[in-house]
Amino acid sequence: MSQTFRNFLLVSVLSAGLAGCASDIYAPPGGGDRSPQPAPQPPTVEDEEQRDSPRLSEQPEEDTRERAPGPGYQEQGDDLSPAAVSLIERADALMADGQPEAALSQLERAQRISPRSAQVYFKLAEAYARTNNLGTAEQFTMKGLSLAGSNTRLQKSGWELLASIRHERGNVAGAEQAERRASQL
Amino acid sequence: MPKKSPAKRKKSQPRKSRPTFRQRLWSLGWRLGLVMLVLLAGWMVYLDALVTSRFEGRRFEVPSRVYARPLELYDGAALSADALGQELELAGYRSGDGSRPGTWQQSGNRFLISTRGFDFADGEEPRRRLSLTVSGGRVSGFRVLEGGSSPIVRLEPAEIGGIYPAHREDRVLVSLEDAPPLFEEALLTTEDRDFYDHLGIAPLSIARAMLANIKAGRVVQGGSTLTQQLAKNLYLSRDQTLIRKGNEALMALLLEWHYDKRDILETYLNEVYLGQAGSRSINGFGLASQFYFRKRFQDLELQESALLVGMVKGPSYYDPRRHPERALARRNLVIDLLVEVGAVERTSAERARSAPLDVAARPSWSENRYPAFIDLVRRHLARDYRQEDLQTEGLRIFTTLHPAIQEQAERVTSQTLDQLDRGSSNTRLEAAMVVTSRDSGEVLALVGGRDAGFAGFNRALDARRPIGSLVKPFVYLTALSQPDRYTLITPVKDAGLALEFENGQRWEPSNFDHKQRGDVPLHQALSRSWNLPTVRVGLDVGVPAVTETLQAFGVTSDINRYPSMLLGSVTMEPVAVAQAYQGLATSGFNAPLRTIRDVTDAEGEALSRYQLEVNQVADPAAVHLVQYAMQEVMREGTGRSAYRTIPESLGLAGKTGTTDDGRDSWFAGFSGDLLAVAWVGRDDNGPTSLTGATGALPIWTRFMASIPQHSFSPVVPDGVQYHWVNSERGVLTDEHCENARLIPFIVGSEPQTFEGCGGDFSRRLRGWFEGLFQ
Repeated sequence: MSQTFRNFLLVSVLSAGLAGCASDIYAPPGGGDRSPQPAPQPPTVEDEEQRDSPRLSEQPEEDTRERAPGPGYQEQGDDLSPAAVSLIERADALMADGQPEAALSQLERAQRISPRSAQVYFKLAEAYARTNNLGTAEQFTMKGLSLAGSNTRLQKSGWELLASIRHERGNVAGAEQAERRASQL
Repeated sequence: MPKKSPAKRKKSQPRKSRPTFRQRLWSLGWRLGLVMLVLLAGWMVYLDALVTSRFEGRRFEVPSRVYARPLELYDGAALSADALGQELELAGYRSGDGSRPGTWQQSGNRFLISTRGFDFADGEEPRRRLSLTVSGGRVSGFRVLEGGSSPIVRLEPAEIGGIYPAHREDRVLVSLEDAPPLFEEALLTTEDRDFYDHLGIAPLSIARAMLANIKAGRVVQGGSTLTQQLAKNLYLSRDQTLIRKGNEALMALLLEWHYDKRDILETYLNEVYLGQAGSRSINGFGLASQFYFRKRFQDLELQESALLVGMVKGPSYYDPRRHPERALARRNLVIDLLVEVGAVERTSAERARSAPLDVAARPSWSENRYPAFIDLVRRHLARDYRQEDLQTEGLRIFTTLHPAIQEQAERVTSQTLDQLDRGSSNTRLEAAMVVTSRDSGEVLALVGGRDAGFAGFNRALDARRPIGSLVKPFVYLTALSQPDRYTLITPVKDAGLALEFENGQRWEPSNFDHKQRGDVPLHQALSRSWNLPTVRVGLDVGVPAVTETLQAFGVTSDINRYPSMLLGSVTMEPVAVAQAYQGLATSGFNAPLRTIRDVTDAEGEALSRYQLEVNQVADPAAVHLVQYAMQEVMREGTGRSAYRTIPESLGLAGKTGTTDDGRDSWFAGFSGDLLAVAWVGRDDNGPTSLTGATGALPIWTRFMASIPQHSFSPVVPDGVQYHWVNSERGVLTDEHCENARLIPFIVGSEPQTFEGCGGDFSRRLRGWFEGLFQ
């Protein structure tokens, strides 16, 4: 894997992590400050997790009074839960320590806890890209992108990640297309 | 009881013969003796070969252990107090003070849990003391009181079964170094005090035992050394014959001749028979520690060691679960013996004597508790492992089974079938259910029939049935993937048609209610499961295109080329339906179903990891449109009866399926977390009075209602926009108009004309103001 690719990967995933996440999961290990940063959009991670009643549609309330609840949807995926964040940190440490298999185990644990969060799939893509499983990495990137919704920062980092993976796979046209998508955001 | 060797007896015979023949007889006797000696030597050589080959090549056959997924505890985890209690019990925890490992204490919503620690495939989870609160179906206030701090902790996984060798001996290997303090002393004091001094047999003890047996007129005491006991267990049958006793003694001598005392003792620890669980025998102190105390061998306390040692004499006679008084007396006798030889001080002996037996409840995993699930695990394992290795290598298999979900699935299946039986003349209905995790494809529960504990025909895996209307989402997905031709509001014709084939056969499909409605919007045709529009759309996009869609979603069974496939003449097993629906439940990403996360060897070294995989199989935008209609199924269509039981706030999506004469009743659907497929029908494929909505849906509904989970609320994918439309008229409209629906469109395919509500100005004004202040 080329050095530029690695750098690109790192940069794109870093920005993916920073976007849309209430707590900074990519703070360097040991960094004490874990207070939530101003998130680009509400709700915060805690609100997501502690909400008792499951989410309904985002149709206006007016509507739910007049009609029976209709099909639901949401504009963005879920944020990472703090537990998933801690597992991703563990995975990062393992990856830095040259144990990608062990890192994958931790990332899959994180995926089970936050299965509707784009970031967790981008992290899986990063882990697979680092072990040169580029096909798998591409699939996880696309899965992450399908959950990025209207979060343009997540989308942008997803498309950039996809572009770098496709470049590495020799899919120039696909990479350019992904780059175009990223630059439009 | 060993006698003098036969050779000696023969030798003495000639002395009785007459002197005249003395010479000849002497020579005959001598020859005879020689022959006997040669025979004995031959026999010894044979025994020696047997002893050494078995002992040296001794590879205990250790069954594989199958574990459920471990419970992850962290702030925000979805969990009820009841479910936590169940999980703890299943993992062998005891209600107690919450400070001894393996115990928990509940006061109100607050739990104190002392974990035992566990060696997972990806590393060790150390012992910890935890404190947490469970309320509103969520964990909060999670703290680690002792042990390494961590925001997330895994409990030990429950053992849910094993893969046993044919002789059904079960064991967990231990080494002598693992022995807890005083264990060895207790064992040797009780069973063989001269172990380190004798040569394999102890003639004095034998004499003592013989005397006691003669007095009693039956076998009441054994003078066997540990080595003899081991020889008996390893090589011989259990009958008490003299020949066997002789062989046992010879083999004991040979064992001692060849091997080190420590080696013999360690083999004994792993071989000794200590109980029975159904058809499975509990061998060795390693497994016995788990079986009776749910502890590791090295963690046994004095009184626990004493009990296990005491049980060697008669595991069923001294069974602490069935005969607690006997077992207690025997245990205390062993403790007394230890005091007698000065191995234990009186005070600690007193403490041990006064301790209760404290035997763990009979383990639920004594036999495979979830046979249908284990069946699927075995089939997955068979791809990579030989049956023989699974039965003997002591592998540890970490599965995806979710015990609470499995229990619920089993319960609602049998309860609902009982009710359906009562309500009609249906003869003996059967059912199957598959529950997977929506995004990962992990199989969480599997029900193979109404009697879930019965390891028989596994309908979830082997009942291959036509899927009926479950095929319709794939027909419409194929159409909606062509946004220039189809949208959710495209009018489709609900009118009769007849097809004539080359062979002269005619096919005239009809709707379930035999009505025809003229032009209907596509989303309604799917949510109401009308047949005629589906056939028309399917014929328009082409049977081959629909076939391709099905195959892309993972359908591997043969799909016939006839238009009847558009109404579900495709046959599939419930587990295959779950696989195909995985892609519909996510945004077009198929995740291969998995039952196993990791396999390790007996030492915990990873052998296989079965990773999460995702494969995009369809355009997320088109899948999103189908998901809209599948949610409409639940809100307004054939699945709406689910909301009589399930709160409206829980968003769900799904599809009913019924085949001719109600032979198969299907329901496949999903929430934000789970995908579940239910099937009801008869084993003889006979007719029933059921439809998908009256047979399988009630099972599915009760199941979904009983599990805390998130709504299905798909993220709007790239290239999809929602618009207010009047779907009957096919136009954009105002949000507050009659018949206005908020419907997703692939960008560019939305209608271009707008029709308001025809002059209801005050209403529109009100809507405008409300919109302003929202």
